[in-house]
Amino acid sequence: MAAKKTTFIRNLLIFLAILGPGIITGSVDNDAGGITTYSIAGAQYGYKLLWALIPAFVVLVVIQEMNARMGVVTGKGLADLIRENAGVKITFFIFMALLAADILNTTTEFGGIAGSTQVFGVSKYISVPIAAVFVWVLVVKGTYQSVEKVFLFFSVILLSYVVSAVMAKPDWKVVGMAFVRPEIDLNFDYMATFIAMIGTTIAPWMQFYMQSSVIEKGLKLEDYRYTRWDVTIGAFVTVLVASFIIIACASTLHVNNVVINEAQDAAMSLKPFAGALSSYVFAGGLFVASIFSATILPVATAFYVCEAFGFEAGIDKKLKEAPQFYTLYTVIIAISVIIILIPNSPLIAITFWSQALNGVLLPVVLISMMLIVNNKEVMGQYTNKPLNNIVGWVTVVVLIGLSTILLVLSFIG
Amino acid sequence: MQCQNLDGSDRNHKLLPLLSRLKAFLFSDKPEGSVTNMTSFYLSRILNRRVLNSDGQAFGVLKDLIVCNGEHPELIACIVKQKDNGLRILDWKGFSIDKENNKYTIECSRTEDIALPEDAVYLKKHILDKQIVDIDGVKVVRVNDVRLAAVSSGIFAVAVDVGLEGLLRRLGFAKPAKSVMQIFGKGISSKFILWSNLEAFVPPLQNLKLSTKLSKLNTLHPSELADIIEELDINTRTAIFEALDNERAADVLEELESDVQVSLLNKMDTGKAADLLEKMPADEAADILDDLQEDRAEEILDEMEKEASEEVRELMEYEDDEVGSLMTTDYISFKESATVEDTINELRRLKPESDTIYYLYVLDNDERLTATVSLRDLIVSQPETQLSEIMKKKIIYVLDTDPINSLMEIISKYSLLAIPVVNEERKMQGVVIIDDLVYELLRPKRRKM
Repeated sequence: MAAKKTTFIRNLLIFLAILGPGIITGSVDNDAGGITTYSIAGAQYGYKLLWALIPAFVVLVVIQEMNARMGVVTGKGLADLIRENAGVKITFFIFMALLAADILNTTTEFGGIAGSTQVFGVSKYISVPIAAVFVWVLVVKGTYQSVEKVFLFFSVILLSYVVSAVMAKPDWKVVGMAFVRPEIDLNFDYMATFIAMIGTTIAPWMQFYMQSSVIEKGLKLEDYRYTRWDVTIGAFVTVLVASFIIIACASTLHVNNVVINEAQDAAMSLKPFAGALSSYVFAGGLFVASIFSATILPVATAFYVCEAFGFEAGIDKKLKEAPQFYTLYTVIIAISVIIILIPNSPLIAITFWSQALNGVLLPVVLISMMLIVNNKEVMGQYTNKPLNNIVGWVTVVVLIGLSTILLVLSFIG
Repeated sequence: MQCQNLDGSDRNHKLLPLLSRLKAFLFSDKPEGSVTNMTSFYLSRILNRRVLNSDGQAFGVLKDLIVCNGEHPELIACIVKQKDNGLRILDWKGFSIDKENNKYTIECSRTEDIALPEDAVYLKKHILDKQIVDIDGVKVVRVNDVRLAAVSSGIFAVAVDVGLEGLLRRLGFAKPAKSVMQIFGKGISSKFILWSNLEAFVPPLQNLKLSTKLSKLNTLHPSELADIIEELDINTRTAIFEALDNERAADVLEELESDVQVSLLNKMDTGKAADLLEKMPADEAADILDDLQEDRAEEILDEMEKEASEEVRELMEYEDDEVGSLMTTDYISFKESATVEDTINELRRLKPESDTIYYLYVLDNDERLTATVSLRDLIVSQPETQLSEIMKKKIIYVLDTDPINSLMEIISKYSLLAIPVVNEERKMQGVVIIDDLVYELLRPKRRKM
């Protein structure tokens, strides 16, 4: 009996020590782009798209588990593995697309900062430059590691969306039904929103991020089963927060036929229906999520690109040692900030294009991942089980199919 | 099978001038293949090209080149993919390669199977796109291309291309990019690492033997090797570590960042970990073990020799910000009654490190610190002089529980290289060396993404 108890405590301790990569990745996942997409989905289609979060959850768990496994077994980042196994041309395509998509993604993060501070009455011409300098210094001065923990704590604020949703007093019975009984509209807007939701939940750069965090944590194969739990909990939190954003917007904005285009519209529009507090809580969550992602996304992108092409990278390097890395990092932030500060910058178009790019990129990254994870020379005995392969390949096929349908529909008009 | 070459000395004699000519050729601006009796080419230019048989019929597609591992990596075999036979490893003796009008033709006149030496290097599978160590630059770099040279005695891998030009060549736009850059009067940087200056990690990694295969890494300073190891993935790290002898492994381990130390010690065999930590100064060992998970640290401590592990355990008791956590227990002490001659003889026997030899401590019978003797006074005194005559009773010391911050003031005020640490009863506990203090202050908060 006593022995059983000690193993339980021991397991719990190991689990807590290993916890992190999955949950942090899950939190970064709900960034400005994500919040925008979920808000729009809720405002426009009510609870109709809630069901989409269930397949998104399954796919998220399966994909991130593969990333975690590749990281633990090979000790190498995804960028490394792609470069070493997929050849230079595919690597070039993936990382150029990743760079372009992530510049746009970063732009939406700064857009989120601009939007959320506007809700509190602060001009974007003040908040965005301050945020940019803050983020840049944070990373370059290397105090990032300690700050990440603070961010992790702050990401609890994302649960504020639960508060927003509850304050909006939704009909929980209808909400529950929406999860189990999908209502599918066969039109362009519905499909586009659906793909955007999947695309923002399973953003390509998250795969790289997940794998790197696992490596950095120095996880061992023996403790791998705990990592699996970490991944599952992280994905669950992501989807949970997403569903509450949709519920909050659906039960207030959709019911009252309010049309929104950006996340801060949602925050603003909540005021008359759910009260000023709910509006501020929503905007606060958006602000924290945006800053969190704006800190991680540019530096992570610069790192993966340099890693793939063999330039020195890492914030532990001096400017002289890794000039390409720092240049790239600074350029990503600079471009994003400039785009946001242009008066009437087309944030909606940017969000759309970043998601479109992600949509094209994701299948390519997934195919590369599936090939690598099934390569015995790389993974040894830890290649995919049949179930992983089925979910993986079905996801690839469905994503390519959906993106093609969307492309065709957009040409037909 | 061994690499077939002329015997050592003779070969070196012949090849040295050849290699220097090769170098001159490699780094000159002459276009490829303009020299008739000697031609060099890039791996990327011939991979996936069709191989013809002697009748000019399609034979297969070239998939990889295999060289022997050693100082002169001669091309010994190649892998050809055939439509009906699949992948075949064939002796290079039956092949020839030609370049005319910028077009490469690979011809196979006869097919001979070959038994490869165990440590054969596959240029595509093991080198291309992989990370290697640039020994001169002490860096881990990624290979964009491999340069080979054909001389009368055979074809050799001579260098790897790690520059931008190699990358562009692989993508197929080296030439257009060059012409664009010419308009601006600039070139595209190309960077080569000569084969003799690189270290590759050829699987299976378990077979790495530093004495032979990784000998070049052995020429690096422990801190340089530590920098290299930090750049590599955990499996390669472990393999290199397993191949190092204990003495050197301990030196390298000491220089590594703490997160890398932890990951290595977690992965390493417990016995080996214990051996390494025994070889390290107790304070360093305590620092490392502090970062490990408790039960793993306990496991390693149990494997260590009792004397060493007890010392480490004591040091581990100190808090991070206490002087005790920073001190080393390696110090030199004598009794008052000792003569200068005894002392110097003892020093000759101990051969202390340079950072501990400058201060010698005098302890009473209860291990209490009573005085210090400087190396200078020791040397200028007569052999029969007793230490009590030349020792300085006015000593500066700190308590083991003092905060580390207080050390800086004391050390800079008195211009000390080391400061003795005592406990509340004034019993000698150890010494804080200025190096360790500086390291503690400069310790950056590092992180890899």
